[in-house]
Amino acid sequence: MSIQHWRIKDRYYRLIGSKCADCGDEFFPPVYTCKGCGSEHIKDKEMPKTGRILTYTQLHEPLPGFEAQTPLYLAVVKLENGARILTQIVDSPPDSVKTGAKVRATIRRAMVDGDSGQIIYGFKFLIA
Amino acid sequence: MSKSKAYVSSVGMTPIADHWDYSILDLAVQAARGALKGSTIKKPDQIIVGNMFSAVGAKQEHLGAMVATALGLTGTPAYKVEAACSSGGTAFNVGYNLVRSGAIDSALVVGVEKMRDLEPEDISAALAMAESAEYTQFVGATFAALNGLLARYYMEQMDVSRDELSSIPVIDHANAVTAEHAQFRKAITPEVVGRSAMIADPLRLFDCAPVGDGAAAVLLVNDNAASGSRRRMAEVLEGRIATNDFSLYEREDMLDFKSTRLAFKKAMEQAGLAPSKLSMVELHDAFSVVGALSLEAMGFSKRGHGSKDAKAGKYSRGSDLPINTFGGLKARGHPVGATGVYQIAEAYLQLTDRAGKNQVEGAEYAVTQNVGGVDTTAAVHVFGRAA
Repeated sequence: MSIQHWRIKDRYYRLIGSKCADCGDEFFPPVYTCKGCGSEHIKDKEMPKTGRILTYTQLHEPLPGFEAQTPLYLAVVKLENGARILTQIVDSPPDSVKTGAKVRATIRRAMVDGDSGQIIYGFKFLIA
Repeated sequence: MSKSKAYVSSVGMTPIADHWDYSILDLAVQAARGALKGSTIKKPDQIIVGNMFSAVGAKQEHLGAMVATALGLTGTPAYKVEAACSSGGTAFNVGYNLVRSGAIDSALVVGVEKMRDLEPEDISAALAMAESAEYTQFVGATFAALNGLLARYYMEQMDVSRDELSSIPVIDHANAVTAEHAQFRKAITPEVVGRSAMIADPLRLFDCAPVGDGAAAVLLVNDNAASGSRRRMAEVLEGRIATNDFSLYEREDMLDFKSTRLAFKKAMEQAGLAPSKLSMVELHDAFSVVGALSLEAMGFSKRGHGSKDAKAGKYSRGSDLPINTFGGLKARGHPVGATGVYQIAEAYLQLTDRAGKNQVEGAEYAVTQNVGGVDTTAAVHVFGRAA
């Protein structure tokens, strides 16, 4: 598990997604093939750090390892470049988490790895 | 090889329950023996097992050979097919294509899942393996969370009310009252759904299919293997699998259940059947919102109207198109990798007039829709009475 996180740490820390070299569409999570035009000419691209909430939920029973953060606020955020990202919303008043709300990315402790105790960091968003 | 017709000639299933006394193999064998007992075929050409997470749920893989050995059928080709919650429907599709092509003449398809040996949070984690480890599991999201996100989007975009969303679970529970293999045989009201515990806002406990153990099996045969009257069989008219963008949040239009839409359209076209001819639909309503969007993807309801139509009675027992005639995922139950095979066994019971108190009078054609992920994979099959 730790190696899995190390391998993609830039994606978690800096929101490195994909940009299609042919049509210019941008994606997060990264893609191998452009969903817009089918091109395989895909380059890494740092995503914009702001966007708006498309939809959200308050989760009372999250996956193991996230119990301390319950309830978890989760949202699908449409970034300014059109990419859609699934993220936690943190450090924001509950009643500010709404459809259409403007959000910005931050870095937070994501989880503690069960086997090694290693702390994994990653992106989360807060209400801008 | 010329195409033969393909039939479901017999079925077997366990009740869906917390089967503390039975192992995953116990359940698979009970269902398989039930199907073999009803047939003259005692040695199917292949055994295909549909299962999602036996590696986690029972610390067991290699189910194909294990089931073959337990049935005294050592030597028979046997293997597992996995496509998350659509494992059962996908396993059946593999068997259907083999039998229909003439590559083999018979296949025993067994769907089985052992969920209850795990703690509740470990069940969520096992199910979440059908989603991206790196981008969905990483943020703590369960399938309930993804469907909560989808349900809010659906309700806000399409102006769907809490009571409307509750209507499909209500139909499921009403139909399960007389279904012997169903997990929850008790009728409920929309108020019960709307007041149940919040799981992933706006989804509540009664919007979500329960956890349970179970196995279902069906015997597939072609004309080379079928003996006797076809009237005791259901004909498989067509079956298709399709896929959508892997994760819900990757999709340009989250409300378009593309895999269901494509699989249904291709299966119906290939079967040469107009949707208006269908007598019933077994729907994959793992969550209330998934049932509604599936009805829309198959074109039975207009966009945004799946739950509204269900509330208006369009899909209730006695209507022109009853859904989930034995209780669907919410009330019959959803032992994930087995569910698709339960649906097919139920369609068989209806089309051979063996559905007892749940019989849809004069049922001629049935569709089963089995989904893995949030409409990520769909396996859709069309059945008719065999002539």
